[in-house]
Amino acid sequence: MSRRAVIAGVGHSAFGKLPDQSAWALEVEAVSKAVSDAGLAPRDVDGLLTDPGPVQGILEGITPHFLRLGAQLGLNPTYTGSEILGGAGSVAIIERAVLAVEAGQCDVCVCVYGDSALSSTGAYGYGRGDESAFGFFGAVGLHALAAQRHMHTYGTRREQLGEVAVAARAHAARTPHAQKRRELSIDDYMTADPLVEPLCRFDCCLVSDGAAAVVITTEERAADLRIPPVPILGHAQAHSLSTYASAGHFESLPAARSGPVAFGQAGVGPSDVDLALLYDCFTIVVLLQLEDYGFCKKGEGGAFVEQGRIGPGGSFPVNTSGGLLAEAYGGGMLHVIEAVRQLRREAGERQVADAEVALVSGHGLGMNTHTTLVLGR
Amino acid sequence: MSDAEAPPLPQPDAHTQAFWDACRERRLEVSACRDCDHLFLPPGPCCPQCWSTSLATRAVSGGGSVYSYVVYRRTYHPGMPAPYVVALVSLDEGPRMISNIVGCEPEAVEVDMPVRLVFETAGEFLLPRFEPISACATSAATGGNAS
Ligand SMILES: [Zn+2]
Repeated sequence: MSRRAVIAGVGHSAFGKLPDQSAWALEVEAVSKAVSDAGLAPRDVDGLLTDPGPVQGILEGITPHFLRLGAQLGLNPTYTGSEILGGAGSVAIIERAVLAVEAGQCDVCVCVYGDSALSSTGAYGYGRGDESAFGFFGAVGLHALAAQRHMHTYGTRREQLGEVAVAARAHAARTPHAQKRRELSIDDYMTADPLVEPLCRFDCCLVSDGAAAVVITTEERAADLRIPPVPILGHAQAHSLSTYASAGHFESLPAARSGPVAFGQAGVGPSDVDLALLYDCFTIVVLLQLEDYGFCKKGEGGAFVEQGRIGPGGSFPVNTSGGLLAEAYGGGMLHVIEAVRQLRREAGERQVADAEVALVSGHGLGMNTHTTLVLGR
Repeated sequence: MSDAEAPPLPQPDAHTQAFWDACRERRLEVSACRDCDHLFLPPGPCCPQCWSTSLATRAVSGGGSVYSYVVYRRTYHPGMPAPYVVALVSLDEGPRMISNIVGCEPEAVEVDMPVRLVFETAGEFLLPRFEPISACATSAATGGNAS
């Protein structure tokens, strides 16, 4: 028994279009469910970390996000804060909770993502300073640049990006709370109108209202709780903040640096990973991560995903609840929750047999930030 | 044209004013470190390579190549009707910048294609855009697909 950090509970609200509920109310619901799932009570919570999501955090700048939620929850914690790392934020606050509980700063830390992006307007069509003058809007433009470069350098084809979208929908069809439960064919994908070429709407994540929370505590504290905890075997961050000035910025992700650190802590390698919950704001990011984490060679991500390999029943399942492309935009926290459900054998018809090791990632902003977790059982 | 339909314009600040002023005089200038000679964009308070604050500007040739590009097929802003091409251009001198490829059909743009600077008016600004060095005149004139 030690102060080693574990995941003791998970919970989330409904996801989709929920105009009658504020992000704040959804966050309260997710926190309550996660604490209850852990078999803990509100008074046990002495840490609160929040990821306010793209609208609350970046566009509306709700500051300090943790204070608004913490006040409502009546918390006087020994550790708190909010982080804005884009899509890397949910895994980042879990990482920070791991460091905090292992250092004795708090014993039970709740990490929560929440946003009302779908009931807001203009959430993802934002401009980038002076680049707006050139019509460079939205995260989709940046990722389309990466896709085009990958297609040019490695011969990656749109059908291969489409495999990622098709697999996500097939997984979501088996996920009761998913936003897009209708399966997609490669033909649907290839005939869709282009959005920002080479990407179409099926390459892009959903926009959602909803909140999701995870409870981090110590192995010792979790010993007498109702569900066996999920151990955090490794965690790491790596970032590429220099953007265009960095030669490889659009060709590989900082996952190439955070992956080996997290795998090293866990004492495992890519071949030991049974399923991956990869941040999938755009299909191209899944291909890049499959390469940069070492599941395949650089440039071979497109070939790797062919023939349903990452779909249900495939030899390397990715985003088994449908991910950002089909489950919901959960900031990355839903990826963590799905990994926990798989490792606790609670995933129902989408359960990956004998899942022992799961990789979870976060990726954000202008392809600038990246976070990695390795979870076990 | 109402304000809402006008294209978005640059918003110069203390660090970028000189860049946009130079464009208005049809010069593309990058930031240059006086200590390590590193050239960079966008302009800012220090050299990203050595953190020196002793900075100058240097006019560049206007030659470059398309590192990658995308075609906006959906209109995001009423002042910027689709289709149009946004590219990350690698200047011959090193720095990369987001710009547009103009003077040819979107279908004629290719990764690694050599391009050259052209200035185009947007409100009170001259925007540094790029056009293909070869074959663009024919393509634009015929409206044809050069790819
Ligand atoms: Zn320097």
